[in-house]
Amino acid sequence: MNSIILPVLLPMLTGLLALLWARPSTGRRALFVGSAALQLGLALWLCARTYADGALVLFPGNWGESVGIVLVADLLSAIMLGLSTFSALACVLFACAERPAAAEHPLQLPLLQFLVTGVNLSFVTGDLFNLFVGFEVMLISSYALLTLESDNRNVRHAWSYLALNLVGSALFLVACGWAYGLFGTLNFAGIAVESEALAGDPRVTLLALILLAVFAIKAGLFPLYYWLPNSYPILPGAVAAFFAGMLTKVGVYVLLRMFGTVFPPTLTIVHELLMWTAGLTMIFGVLGAVAQTRVQHILAYHIISQIGFMVLAIGFFTPLAITAAILYIMHHIVVKSTLFLVGGTVRHIFGHDRLDATGGLWRAAPWLGLAFLLQALSLAGLPPLSGFWGKYLIIVVGVGKGEWVLIAMSVVASILTLVSMLKIWLACFWAPAPDGKVPVVPGVGRLTAVTAVMAAVSVGIGLGAPFFFAVAERAARQVLDRPGYVAVVTGRPAPENMGSILP
Amino acid sequence: MNVQIDVVILVGLMTAAAIYLILARNFVRILFGFILLSNAANLALIAVAGDPSGKGAPVVGAAGARAMVDPLPQALILTAIVIGFGVTAYLIFLFYRLFVDHDTVELDDVAARDEKEAGE
Repeated sequence: MNSIILPVLLPMLTGLLALLWARPSTGRRALFVGSAALQLGLALWLCARTYADGALVLFPGNWGESVGIVLVADLLSAIMLGLSTFSALACVLFACAERPAAAEHPLQLPLLQFLVTGVNLSFVTGDLFNLFVGFEVMLISSYALLTLESDNRNVRHAWSYLALNLVGSALFLVACGWAYGLFGTLNFAGIAVESEALAGDPRVTLLALILLAVFAIKAGLFPLYYWLPNSYPILPGAVAAFFAGMLTKVGVYVLLRMFGTVFPPTLTIVHELLMWTAGLTMIFGVLGAVAQTRVQHILAYHIISQIGFMVLAIGFFTPLAITAAILYIMHHIVVKSTLFLVGGTVRHIFGHDRLDATGGLWRAAPWLGLAFLLQALSLAGLPPLSGFWGKYLIIVVGVGKGEWVLIAMSVVASILTLVSMLKIWLACFWAPAPDGKVPVVPGVGRLTAVTAVMAAVSVGIGLGAPFFFAVAERAARQVLDRPGYVAVVTGRPAPENMGSILP
Repeated sequence: MNVQIDVVILVGLMTAAAIYLILARNFVRILFGFILLSNAANLALIAVAGDPSGKGAPVVGAAGARAMVDPLPQALILTAIVIGFGVTAYLIFLFYRLFVDHDTVELDDVAARDEKEAGE
């Protein structure tokens, strides 16, 4: 099915075209918006296709599954593509509304497209080395975006991001070599079959642990999250929203794919490890958020804490828990991008986002306030907003497994989330403006419109929870159906003894 | 896969040296540390192909009756080297910018100078 490669090709071609069309102009912006809308439409079409028919497979170059590259899009990949293209569209619109075309950095939007290319490639790839390539495309674009417009003082914060990811890349490369030596293939389906034959081999466990470390760096898991809260706040608002929404979730997606589909479900040591690091991630992330005094810093720490919830669900590792993780990802990406856009708007209005020198926004920009309030409560998990359903399911699974300590941790994290969100609410929106009046800047209305649409989508996810639950359930089923995945990719029925936790 | 113990030791030594250099506070040392680290990873990748002695090149017709070297790790390492080049170029740029802005090659000085400026 050739259409799977389009989510990778379209942003790449758009980026290249825009590099030739060097000067920012209204026409160039129209190109980005049009392309982003097209990508979103394509991703939604892929969602519908994979929901109905299951995974789609493409062998670029026709090399066959043992040596060549393979692209696989199942429902989870398609959902992730939909979310990445949706938040990319919102970010492009926000970036266009933020400043006039003449003031735009000519490389910002092309780099964003290359970033989307890397992210989308990571979602549709069906082999380990191509995943490495997708990660690198994504990382190099993100390095460039990080330092593109940062001032002299902030540029050093890019260093911690860069350093940790360089180590992660080297480790990933070694893991690729290891996997090839061990299994004789880098194909996900091939690894799934071969690792079954090597069940219980300590070398497989060790490989799984190395990969866990690599993806934990990407996802920002405890104790490897130090880079995140330092680097994200130095980004301009629009780009920060895409980073916050997508980049760490690529790590979570890969964790789902690797330990759900590729590695056998008997690797309980990995699941245990995921559970407890997730618990600590939740607590440390939210404690960091409570201690911060700037909007974007608080929100950046919240990403870490929320990653903990998703990974906790993966660690529980039952079909319902995986469903909860996918539902949570859908909720989180929309909410987090919106909150960062609100933070970006606050920065646009005041020129900074320090809590002690902002205020009065509830009166000056009530729609922005409403969008923030809805998203903040959703993040904290109040019913019937979108964040509630994922958290509720995770806790239901946890109670079923009797993991009381972890449940207590997640409840504490939720309450503290509410506390730190109230901090932003009280300082930015409720408190009187610092000089008696809020500065009047052009473009706030358009920024608010983008944010409000995002908020509306998030409310829609909350109210349409039964529908999204059904989608997430089918996605989880496809992820956990290892024999089915192998059969689709190789075109032959999977070996009889393949383990799967599906009933 | 037959293990080549000499390659294993070499990769180990390179990684150790790389980590030692990365933990320094001097940009130039850190830069060399990361270059060494990426080369160690590349070497580990190519070592997966096994001992090449006595085998032919993986080109059609060149190997004759002999066994061929596994070409896949070579394709992988080629990609990895190119990516490594790009990242190294970026790293050099970042350090150069830090050097130009702060007039020092020590990471500690960069942070100290920034904090001093923030305090003023």
